[in-house]
Amino acid sequence: MTKIKLLIVDDEIEFAETLAERMELRGIATQTANNGKEALEMVHSSPPDLVILDLKMPDMSGLEVLQSIKSMHPSIEVIMLTGHGSTASGIEGMEKGAFDYIMKPVDLNDLLEKLKLANEKRSKA
Amino acid sequence: MNIIQRLITSVLPADPESVTEELFRQKRYKRFRYSLFLAMNLIGLIPMMLTAGLGFSQYRDLLQREERDQLQWNMEGAQKTIEAFVHELQSVVNFVAHEDRYQELLDQNNLQILFDRLHKQYPGFVDLGVIDSKGIQQAYVGPYNLQGKDYSHQDWFAEVVAKKVFISNVVMGFRQAPHFAIKVTKKIPGTNEHWVLRATINAETLYHFIETINTQASDDIFIVSRDGILQTPSLFYGHILDSFQLSEQSTTKGQINRQLYDDIIDPTQLSEQLTTKGQIREVVDSSGKHILQASVLLKNTPWILILTKEGYIHGSHWSSFRQKLFFIFAGCSIVGLLITIQLSKILTERIRESDEKRHALLTEAEHTHKLASIGRLAAGVAHEINNPLAIIDQKAGLIQDILEFGGDFENKDKVTASLLGIHNGVNRCKVITHRLLGFARRMDFCEEKVHINEVLKEVLSFLEKEAMYNHIKFNLNLQEDIPVIYSDQGQLQQIFLNIINNALDAIGHDGQVTITSQVEDDSVLIGIQDNGPGIPEKTLQHIFEPFFTTKETGKGTGLGLSITYGLVKKLGGTIRVTSTVGEGAFFEVRFPLSL
Repeated sequence: MTKIKLLIVDDEIEFAETLAERMELRGIATQTANNGKEALEMVHSSPPDLVILDLKMPDMSGLEVLQSIKSMHPSIEVIMLTGHGSTASGIEGMEKGAFDYIMKPVDLNDLLEKLKLANEKRSKA
Repeated sequence: MNIIQRLITSVLPADPESVTEELFRQKRYKRFRYSLFLAMNLIGLIPMMLTAGLGFSQYRDLLQREERDQLQWNMEGAQKTIEAFVHELQSVVNFVAHEDRYQELLDQNNLQILFDRLHKQYPGFVDLGVIDSKGIQQAYVGPYNLQGKDYSHQDWFAEVVAKKVFISNVVMGFRQAPHFAIKVTKKIPGTNEHWVLRATINAETLYHFIETINTQASDDIFIVSRDGILQTPSLFYGHILDSFQLSEQSTTKGQINRQLYDDIIDPTQLSEQLTTKGQIREVVDSSGKHILQASVLLKNTPWILILTKEGYIHGSHWSSFRQKLFFIFAGCSIVGLLITIQLSKILTERIRESDEKRHALLTEAEHTHKLASIGRLAAGVAHEINNPLAIIDQKAGLIQDILEFGGDFENKDKVTASLLGIHNGVNRCKVITHRLLGFARRMDFCEEKVHINEVLKEVLSFLEKEAMYNHIKFNLNLQEDIPVIYSDQGQLQQIFLNIINNALDAIGHDGQVTITSQVEDDSVLIGIQDNGPGIPEKTLQHIFEPFFTTKETGKGTGLGLSITYGLVKKLGGTIRVTSTVGEGAFFEVRFPLSL
């Protein structure tokens, strides 16, 4: 998985950076963005392979960011982060093209598993 | 106005403080019932009383007037008839006593022939006498020996000379039989002296005649002299020649037509006041009877005609009518009272019922509202806590990663143990926040055909193992032909899972859970009965509130049943729990069939 480029989008900087650090420790090249605008810029300048995207952010919601990313680079797989504890918003994200969703607080092993599956899907495509 | 106000205030909702004061409310309903009863009675009884009273008095007045009129006509008829009869007798005697027949009539034989002829025509004639100017009876025909009798000292003799025609009162006289006399005075031709023809007539003639003209309109009809002596026998007031008592009776005042009593008349006054027009009075006789008395002077006679009639309104017909009226009135009043009592009771009950229903609805709405706001609050709190929780989780994870990738150092084991502690703590928090969010979340309502029995069986299959370990037995009592309902299968599962799980927790081990389903009216009813320790009254009141738990700290979140409650409500159903401590608890969930 060394080739994977990951982008974590979350308005909670601490969360995003800590998660990014842990990903780096596991050999995944990870960048962070703290809002939707920043994320889109980064996707535009250097497109990642996978995106972990928080659903609830100020200014631009995760679903809007998801739609933009998918329109720019349909090959990028996105995993939604939902704090809602509900499956509904996750399912809505999946309908809009997200690969999967995972609930906060995140169990790292679950997340890694999903990332692996997403990457496999991307590679096949 | 006052009653209406009271009615309105009684019906108006009680203010919140008094809602709890059950006793006060009972009093209000009682007061309302009394006012209603009173108002209805006033509305019903007053017009009834007025109508009955007015009708009664009007009818009585009419009857009295009618009665007086009847008596008046009767009296006038009788007066005319008797006057005509007396006039006829008088004319006969007058005709017989032709002036120049004096000498002829002095002859006993001639007089006898005349008397025979008269007697043939009028059997009432008793005798006939000729009296000369000195008052000596010169000739006489009749059953008594009165030839030569001297009448010169008697009062009538002077009078008859002056009046030409004279009718006497009925007397016994020498003849010892009631009779009256018609006397006619004529001049002796060629002189200044008078002679008198005197015809005596049996009083019975008068009596029989009166009898024939008596009608239904009067009870008694008779003749009295001007000084109050009965001239004909009366049915009620004595025999012939008795003195007539009626007018001497004192009369009771204060009755109808008072002015009639004001002239208490003695016999002598009677004649003075009377005219030939007559008058009608109401008097009380010696036996206490109220009677109408009509009296009139008979023209050219010394007599007064009297008719009496018992007042109808004092008679038995009237009193029985009055009695009937009273009973009808009393009967109607009692029936009315009973109806109004019943009616006010029913009305008050209805109002009380609707009040209670409204109160229950309000309480339920309040309860739902409370749960909803607590839910929203909880969701907000959970969401806010979720993010820092995620940071803590990640930070702890990072430290653990660093430890794993780095080398050994002092106390590494302790740090690792602490990190595990943090991780466990975070996980517990996670469960709570996710449940809280689930409690409030708005999941899309996924409506599908659901076989309730299959849902129940599926839920039980999840729990079978756990139950088996704890020696808990499931009893299924499911109605086979329950129609399909449209609902959310997943949420239904969660509902029953929560309830049955709670039942298992409550029992602990060794016991049984009975699950029933049936169709009742237009809803399907699912009952879950356990034989655990039961739920105390105090706990029952809060059982559906979030965070309310009786389990040990850490074992339950206190959200299970409140989530269940919210789900049932969302699916359009109701949930109810009853319990007896020591016997177990019974949860009843009800969903409408036509959802």
